[in-house]
Amino acid sequence: MFELDVATRHIKSRRRQTLFSVIAVSLAVGIIIIFMSMMGGYTSILIDSTTENQAHITIMPKEDEDYIHLYHGLENHIYDLEGVEGVSSYFQGEAALQYKHNAEGVLLYGINPEDENRVVNRDKYMLAGEFTSIENPGSRIVLGYKLAKNLDVGMGDSVTAQIPGAEPIDFTITGIFQTGTPLDETMAFVNIERLQDLYRSGDVITGMGIRLSDPYASEDLANGIDRETGYDAISWMEQNAEILTLLETSEGMVYFFYIIIFGISGFGVANVLIMIVMEKMGEIGMLMAMGTSRRSIMLIFLLEAAILGMMGVAVGCILGYAASAAIASIVIPVPPEMYFGMDHLPIVIEFKNFISASVFAMVINIIAGVFPARRASKMDPVEAIYSV
Amino acid sequence: MSEKYIIQIKNLTKIFGDGVEIKALDDVGLNIEQGEFMAIMGPSGSGKSTLLNQIGILDTPTSGTILLDGVDVTKMSDKQRSVTRNKQLGFIFQYHHLLPDFNALENVMMPLLINGVKRSEARKTASKMLEEVGLGDRMKHRPNQLSGGQNQRVAIARALVNKPSIVIGDEPTGNLDSKASDNIYELLRRLNREHNQTFILVTHDKHMAAKTDRTIQLVDGKICEDSRNGNGD
Ligand SMILES: Nc1ncnc2c1ncn2[C@@H]1O[C@H](COP(=O)(O)OP(=O)(O)OP(=O)(O)O)[C@@H](O)[C@H]1O
Ligand SMILES: [Mg+2]
Repeated sequence: MFELDVATRHIKSRRRQTLFSVIAVSLAVGIIIIFMSMMGGYTSILIDSTTENQAHITIMPKEDEDYIHLYHGLENHIYDLEGVEGVSSYFQGEAALQYKHNAEGVLLYGINPEDENRVVNRDKYMLAGEFTSIENPGSRIVLGYKLAKNLDVGMGDSVTAQIPGAEPIDFTITGIFQTGTPLDETMAFVNIERLQDLYRSGDVITGMGIRLSDPYASEDLANGIDRETGYDAISWMEQNAEILTLLETSEGMVYFFYIIIFGISGFGVANVLIMIVMEKMGEIGMLMAMGTSRRSIMLIFLLEAAILGMMGVAVGCILGYAASAAIASIVIPVPPEMYFGMDHLPIVIEFKNFISASVFAMVINIIAGVFPARRASKMDPVEAIYSV
Repeated sequence: MSEKYIIQIKNLTKIFGDGVEIKALDDVGLNIEQGEFMAIMGPSGSGKSTLLNQIGILDTPTSGTILLDGVDVTKMSDKQRSVTRNKQLGFIFQYHHLLPDFNALENVMMPLLINGVKRSEARKTASKMLEEVGLGDRMKHRPNQLSGGQNQRVAIARALVNKPSIVIGDEPTGNLDSKASDNIYELLRRLNREHNQTFILVTHDKHMAAKTDRTIQLVDGKICEDSRNGNGD
C-alpha cells in the first residue's frame, strides 16, 4: 500500500495544518460528547423523577362511569400480572380546606398508605410526621407543604374540609410532604375508607395506580389491561406525552446543532486537504507519470482525510470523557430541591455516545476529503508536472 | 520491417486551443528503434515537450497514432495508460520531481511499489539502481539534502528502476551547470549501452546532441531534419 505511505508522509510533513485539523475535529467530537452526556443526564433525571413520582400505569373508570366498582378482584388480578410491583386503589375528590380565614381548593386522595407507598414512595417525601398516620379510617390528613403554608397551618392543627353534599368536617394534620412539584400546593391524603364514607359512595374507587419493575414496559401492559378489562389504563408515557415530545424535539434540535459543529470541522479538514493538494501538484503529476492510477491518487487523499479524522476522534474522545467527568464532579451551589434533589449536574457518560460521535465525525471527514481527493485525481498530469 | 521499431508515430497532430488554435504537432511521422539514443532539438515552442508527452502517454493527440512496442496507445483506457507508463516508460524532467517527504531510496522504490512489487524486493532493486547511478552512499538522504545533480541522478534511477523499454527526458540537464550536465549525459549514455533501452532526450545543447546517435529538429510542430550522428556502434 504505497498510497498509505504517501498519505502518512504528507500528514507528517505538514505539522501545522495537521495540528489545526486535528484540533478542529477533536473539539467537535469533544463538545458533542459533552453535550450528549449532559442531554442524557437531563433526560434520565427527568424520566427517573417522573417514573418515581407517579404511577407507571393509572386505571380509570370505564367511559361514562364515575367509579370502578368491585375493585378488589381487579386489584388481585393486576397484582398477579408479570412485572407488577405495587397496586394502589384510590378515591379522589375535590374539596376545600379551611383554617381560620384561609381557604384553599384541594384534591383529596383517599388511599391506603401501605399500598400507596408501593406505587409511589410517599414516605421519602415527608417533611414532618408520618405518611402511614392515615392507615386507619380516622380524621387525619397529610398535605403538601405549600398548601400548609398557604393555609398557615402546622403539624397538629385542625383544618375543616368542605365536601360537596356533606357536613363540614375537621381533620388533624399528621404529616406534611414536599415533592418539589405543583402537587405540593394542591394535594392532600386521607384514609380511603374515610373519604368513601364522606362521599357516601360505598366501596368504590375512582382510580388505581400501578408500579412496574420496568417503567418502559408500561405502554404494552396498559394496552393489555385496557383490552382485557375494558377499563381505561393509561401509561405514564401517555400521561406525559407532552414532556416526552418536548424531549424528542429538543433532541432533534441538538442533532441539527451537531451537524453544524461537525460541518465546521469538516470544512477545516477539507481546507487543509485542498492546501495539501495545491502544494503537491507537481508531486501528483509525477506520481501519475510513474503509473499511479487516478483511483490511487484519490485513495491517497481520502486516506489523509481518514487519518486526520482518526487522530481528531481519538483526541476528541479523551477530551470529551475528561470534560464530562469533570462537569459531573462539580457540586451545585444551590439548594437541592431546585434541581430535582440533585447536588451534582446530571451527566450520563455512555459508551454509545462515543461511538456515534466518532462514526459521525469519521463520515463527515471522509466526505470532506472527497472534494480535494477528486480534484487531485482529475488533474491533468502534463499540467501538474509543468506547474512547478 | 515494422517489428524492429519500438516506437512508431504516424500522422501525429496535436492542436491546443480554446479560442485560438495552436498546432503544436503537425502531422508528425517518426520511427524509433529499440536501443536508440536520440536527441530532439528545436526552438522554444516548436513542440518538443508536446511530442515527448505524447510518447509518454501523458497526453492524448488530436489525431494520429502512436504504437509503443506494436500497441496503439492512443486507444488505451486510463487504467491501461497508467500501467503502460509504469512498466514501459521512464520519465526524467527538467525539475527532478522527487517526492520531498521520502528519501532517495524510497523515491526510487516508488515505481516498484506502484507496480505491486514486495517492499523488501523493491528495496533491494532500488538500492542496486542507486549504486548504478553513483549514489550508493546517499540512500537515506532526502531531496533537500542533495545537490541538483545528485537529485537528477536519483530521478534517473527512479526512471530506470522498473526496466522500462523507453526513457524520455525533457531537458534533463536544463537546471545543471555544464560539468554536471556532462556527467548526467555520460551516465545516461552508459545506462543506454548497458541495458539497451531507448532514450529520447530533449535538449537545447548542440554539443550534447552531437554525442547522441540521432538528432531530430522540430520547427513549428514539424520534423525538419532527422540526422544520424555516427556515434553509434
Ligand atoms: N496546455 C497547452 N495549452 C495551450 N497551448 C499549449 C499547451 N502546451 C503547449 N502549448 C503550445 O504548444 C506549442 C508547443 O509547446 P511545447 O511546450 O511543446 O514547446 P517546446 O518545444 O517544449 O518549447 P520549450 O523549448 O520552450 O520547452 C507552444 O506554442 C505552446 O504555447
Ligand atoms: Mg518544453
